[in-house]
Amino acid sequence: MASEIRKDDGEFENGAFASTGSHDRHSPGEAGAARREPVPEEADLAAMARERKEHVVGDASDFPAGSHQVVTVGGRQIGIFNINGEFYGLPNVCPHQTGPLCEGKATTGTLVARKEDDWKFRWDYEGEIVACPWHGLEYHVPTGRCLAFPNINLRRYEVVVEDGKVKVRV
Amino acid sequence: MAETVTRQKERRERLEDILVVDCDVHVHESPGELAPYCDMPWRKALENIADVQEYYLDIPGFSPGMTWYEARFPSGHEGRRMVHTPEQMREELSEIHVDIGVLFPDHLLKIAVITQDEYAAALARAYNSWLLDNWCSQELGLLGCVIACPQDPEDAAREIRRYAREPEIVGVYLPCAGLEPLWGHRKYDPIYEAAQETDLPVLLHSVTVVHPVFPFNLHVFETEFGRHICGHTFSIMANLVHMISSGVPVRYPQLRVALTEVGISWVPFLMNRMDKEYLERRREIPILEERPSHYLKKMYYATQPIEEPENLKDLATLMSLYDGENNTIFASDWPHHDFDHPMKVYQIPLSNEARRKVFGENALRLFKIDAQGRRLNL
Repeated sequence: MASEIRKDDGEFENGAFASTGSHDRHSPGEAGAARREPVPEEADLAAMARERKEHVVGDASDFPAGSHQVVTVGGRQIGIFNINGEFYGLPNVCPHQTGPLCEGKATTGTLVARKEDDWKFRWDYEGEIVACPWHGLEYHVPTGRCLAFPNINLRRYEVVVEDGKVKVRV
Repeated sequence: MAETVTRQKERRERLEDILVVDCDVHVHESPGELAPYCDMPWRKALENIADVQEYYLDIPGFSPGMTWYEARFPSGHEGRRMVHTPEQMREELSEIHVDIGVLFPDHLLKIAVITQDEYAAALARAYNSWLLDNWCSQELGLLGCVIACPQDPEDAAREIRRYAREPEIVGVYLPCAGLEPLWGHRKYDPIYEAAQETDLPVLLHSVTVVHPVFPFNLHVFETEFGRHICGHTFSIMANLVHMISSGVPVRYPQLRVALTEVGISWVPFLMNRMDKEYLERRREIPILEERPSHYLKKMYYATQPIEEPENLKDLATLMSLYDGENNTIFASDWPHHDFDHPMKVYQIPLSNEARRKVFGENALRLFKIDAQGRRLNL
């Protein structure tokens, strides 16, 4: 658990699932994860890519397929997920009540019900769902989408494997 | 010209700087731990089930009637957190900025469904003694509530008087889960009598259980979603209605009453509904001297599970409908699956003064303690 209010200062001012209001005095910190950021221009994207630092968080063998673990990078806690060889990074802060989103025991699938199935229960997204251990809010790891509130999307960190090393861009 | 400080211009106090009294946290009692404190022959039974595997609030012969009526799919959600020692509780409460925690049981949230009156009373006595011995600590900011066993109101009254002068006991827990008859029935009068006499508040606490009493025929729902919505809420409301019907606040005017784990959105509804019914049915409850909401506004309402509307300002509006600034008390329900981190209540747009009241000052008044958790009424 965090030792202080996990860096959400003011980000969730009007309630985690309200549209973002003004954030006057507080710096977004980790909470930028759930904010809908304005789409940057091409030139800005390139500049941002250059500014982002790559951090090595371990060897590829430390992150076997089907596992996930939290690393601390650039002052942020990031959950690194290996889903069938694809790597993803999500913030370890749940926008609901700042819970340790990526510290649950396992990624799992979940239940869905679709019209084409006549609304029958179906198990889907096997291995792709992370549930916050505090209240069970489910997020789809590859897209960062909150299943209960699809307008909430977590920031996704770029995670690559190069030369057998796992690197996160922050 | 004096500067007018409006809520918008006021600098928001930090949660770290506010006194936070958490009116509902849960210890974890087990048959094995209570056995040494339990009278014979019931101690034999507790020893016998000491090694039985437990699920969440579910041990046969101790806390029956768990509600796993649906398929259990794998999930990362840890819905079965427990706290086993006061040191662990202190550490975890500090992580969520809680200064003082008020202790409730885990399994014995369901004590009212135990069919053997003597066993239930023995369990309550064992728990009360065990709690004081092992958990209560003003130093650690952990203060306890004794169980008032509904199956034996005379014994419960004895227990209340036994612990009344303990500095680390601050309240009486009234179990509501699976309860029949409801609080308000005259057979429970010895409990109110003892609580009022000893100046201890009573705190109603329910839990989701499936039991053939109103409103616990929750098997009608196919989901925990349904049961959890209706279990706590209708239970507390039914008990409150019955307490008003029999005039508990009139017959025990000094008795302080708190309602836990119901959230707060229902409070204006019940006040309004009771007041409306009173117009037509006054002659059924002639004991009341004022309209029902008058008595309800003097009770205390714990925030957990705090509702989370899209606009949290709605909660401030709701609170204004029942004088909530002065009678709402923060609770986390740590470590349960539906606990509230105080940050959610902190986000409700309130003045600093109102926020301080909700987070701590109202609770100090309810429990008659000071900011260090010392009783003021000994």
